[in-house]
Amino acid sequence: MDEFKSGFFVGGEACEGRVLVVDDEPDIRRVVKMTLQKAGYEVLEAENGEKAIETINAGENRLLLDVVICDIRMPKINGAEAVAYFRKNYPRVPLIVLTGFPDTDMATSFLRQGVVDYLVKPVEGEKLKSAVARAIEQRELARL
Amino acid sequence: MERSDHTKVAILGAGRGGRALLDLLHQIPSIEIVGIADRNPAAPGLERARELQVPVATNVPDLVSNHGVSLILDVTGDPEMETYLHAHKPPTANVLSGSASRLLWKLIQHESKLEAELLQSEKLAGIGSFAAGIAHDINNPLQLILGLAENLAEERDLNAVHQQAQDIIEAVKRTSAICRDLTRYSRRASPHDDVLVPVNEKLDEALKIARYASSFHDIEMIKQYQPGAAVKGNPDELLHVLVNLITNAVHAMEGRGGTLTIETLLHDGQVEIRISDTGCGIDPDKLDEIFEPFFTTKAPGKGTGLGLYNVKTIVNKMHGTIAVDSRIDGGTTFTLTFPDAELVGQGSLS
Repeated sequence: MDEFKSGFFVGGEACEGRVLVVDDEPDIRRVVKMTLQKAGYEVLEAENGEKAIETINAGENRLLLDVVICDIRMPKINGAEAVAYFRKNYPRVPLIVLTGFPDTDMATSFLRQGVVDYLVKPVEGEKLKSAVARAIEQRELARL
Repeated sequence: MERSDHTKVAILGAGRGGRALLDLLHQIPSIEIVGIADRNPAAPGLERARELQVPVATNVPDLVSNHGVSLILDVTGDPEMETYLHAHKPPTANVLSGSASRLLWKLIQHESKLEAELLQSEKLAGIGSFAAGIAHDINNPLQLILGLAENLAEERDLNAVHQQAQDIIEAVKRTSAICRDLTRYSRRASPHDDVLVPVNEKLDEALKIARYASSFHDIEMIKQYQPGAAVKGNPDELLHVLVNLITNAVHAMEGRGGTLTIETLLHDGQVEIRISDTGCGIDPDKLDEIFEPFFTTKAPGKGTGLGLYNVKTIVNKMHGTIAVDSRIDGGTTFTLTFPDAELVGQGSLS
């Protein structure tokens, strides 16, 4: 498995991957970033769907973004709209939904749209990290 | 109102029964209360009558004979009064006394109990729609608490430990405030007598509750408060009215964004509360029906159809009026007007 592992170097340090966290709550972005940075990920933030779309379209992000973690209940472009946009325009970037409101119908609809994981807040750090690692691994395998 | 429907009523007895009758009949446009009398000058109904600007009579023979009274409601419970009325009432007047008036009093009590039940049921049904908002507002701080606690287990930097512990404490306080607000809102309206309610504080409290029921995302808010504006009524019931109107306003702008304007004004001795949205508006054909019970434009299971009906009932009980101005796609304004404006020092009453 080791040779398939995603990994590149940023500033001389091993980077597990680049993750975009989309959530209107700064508290959520803060702890998700804290957890993932400690695990070696580079973390970008966006406060709503509109900012997320701007971020993914900026510079080389479209090439280097490995995973998007997206909230649902947000202002401007909400999570459901953002998910649809990402799936349409960046089908190769895996999406993880992280929501405060568990809803089975919504979860099913997201998974059907190709969202790789549907997590409900509060999610433990280990669970979040393994979801991100799994998403990256699946993408690497799909590329082969 | 047609003249033939017009009833001139005299109320004898201003205890609890007389007062309840006064409150009820005063809300009916076709009824004119020509006077109320009681032997006890401190009777609660007399005070109420002065507030409502209903004449307080001191001379019973004059009240029942000289004012074109068509209905005399005797709730004194005094057999002598009953005898007197049957002997001296004008031939055109009907008298309700003795066991008939006791029955009327019981029906009024029963109605007021049913009304309270209806109010409470509608409120509790509405709270069902808060689930998404509550989940959002509780699970977000929980995520922060969990994430920080997991980090603290490994954190070596003492300053970071102190800061993060403090952040956890703050997050717990925010979360518990949600439960406090909601339990306060969901309880049955206290049966207290009317008090002076500071309107601006109630509006802010209602805004907090309404945020659970509807998404305020993409909604700009304008607040223009007349400092100290106050109205007389039951604070819990007024809160219920305001939550209903604000929630409706936000729902009308759902998915399109807009501006929510909340104003309190004081003019001509009246307090006005205005809640405006720039949302979808109300179909002109439906405007007459919106205060009817069980009228709803929401999908089955989404609305009780009792929201505006209860709003109107409460506002009328507070001797206020409610007006609506709406244009399709131009937004809606609900204006509540209460007589006898009062001012209170901010925060002095609740």
